[in-house]
Amino acid sequence: MSTTLHLLSHSPFGDTRQDSCLRIAGPEDAVLLSGEAVYALLSAGEPWRRLQSSGLPVYALEEDVLARGLEAGPGVTMVDYPAFVRLTLTYDKVNSWL
Amino acid sequence: MAKSMLIISRQAPWAGPAAREALDIALAGGAFELPLAMLFLDDGVFQLSSEQRPQAVQQKNLSANLQALPMFGVEQLYVSASSLNQRGLRADALALAAKALDDREIAELVSHHDQVITL
Amino acid sequence: MKFALAIFAPAHAPSSRRALRFAEAVLAEGHEIVRLFFYRDGVYSVSGSVISPQDELDIPLQWRALIERHGLDAVVCIAAALRRGVLNAEEAQRYQRAGVSVSAPLELSGLGQLHEAAQLADRLVSFGGD
Repeated sequence: MSTTLHLLSHSPFGDTRQDSCLRIAGPEDAVLLSGEAVYALLSAGEPWRRLQSSGLPVYALEEDVLARGLEAGPGVTMVDYPAFVRLTLTYDKVNSWL
Repeated sequence: MAKSMLIISRQAPWAGPAAREALDIALAGGAFELPLAMLFLDDGVFQLSSEQRPQAVQQKNLSANLQALPMFGVEQLYVSASSLNQRGLRADALALAAKALDDREIAELVSHHDQVITL
Repeated sequence: MKFALAIFAPAHAPSSRRALRFAEAVLAEGHEIVRLFFYRDGVYSVSGSVISPQDELDIPLQWRALIERHGLDAVVCIAAALRRGVLNAEEAQRYQRAGVSVSAPLELSGLGQLHEAAQLADRLVSFGGD
């Protein structure tokens, strides 16, 4: 089965991209949070609960987490740009939710 | 063998040029006879509703471009069943013959294509 | 490995800067960028008419510098560019408009170039939406 890295960059509060992404993601896919999408890491929020329930690996672009004063909890892997590049090669394709 | 591409169109028809520009990607690929499929998801399903009168907002009708898809060889047209349901639209009352897929079938569709663009 | 990058966002959008940093990392990791394709508002990311405030990043300048430094194949979608007034000398002349915003090595061309890049590349990564 071919795998997909889903790239999210919109805040999950008031936007449906994360929800739609998690609904159609395959069991071997992964999610990379960048830009405003890192707000999903707020552990008291509903988006975080949904990410955890999905069972998918969650990655977050480190610069965006730091910029917003957020913390990546356990189960989230922070990536810098070289790791981001390597991640796109670990999965068979990249689906950016523009 | 040519790589296949799935184009996922999520934007409502008159929310700016996004819907048209997604269609243009599909038509361009079709013109080059590339293996392409198109999926209408979230507000993208509104592109397929009938009874639209875009002239009211001085826009060109998208339906001509949508109808052109099969003519350009883009025959694999899909629509998200749950997006339709959320919006009270019926799969059999759309302006274009698109196959309704549930979420699991959409995951398989994504898995079967070499490249994906979600606009 | 070969990458094709599609940029859909203008210069001041965070995703354009992310795309730039990603492109740099692709090259630093020893991979190849077969094409940069600027579509929709992405055409503004390489517009020479954009003037960035002095205390901010000059993203169009950085894109052009990356393209020139590495001899990258950079295509601006002509239909998207015309609609947004991002013209090269030829189109400015054709339509009798005063401003020229894009020049070599950037080329104005069609969506077929995006598809060709997608066929050549191992990975197609898109940036935009903001």
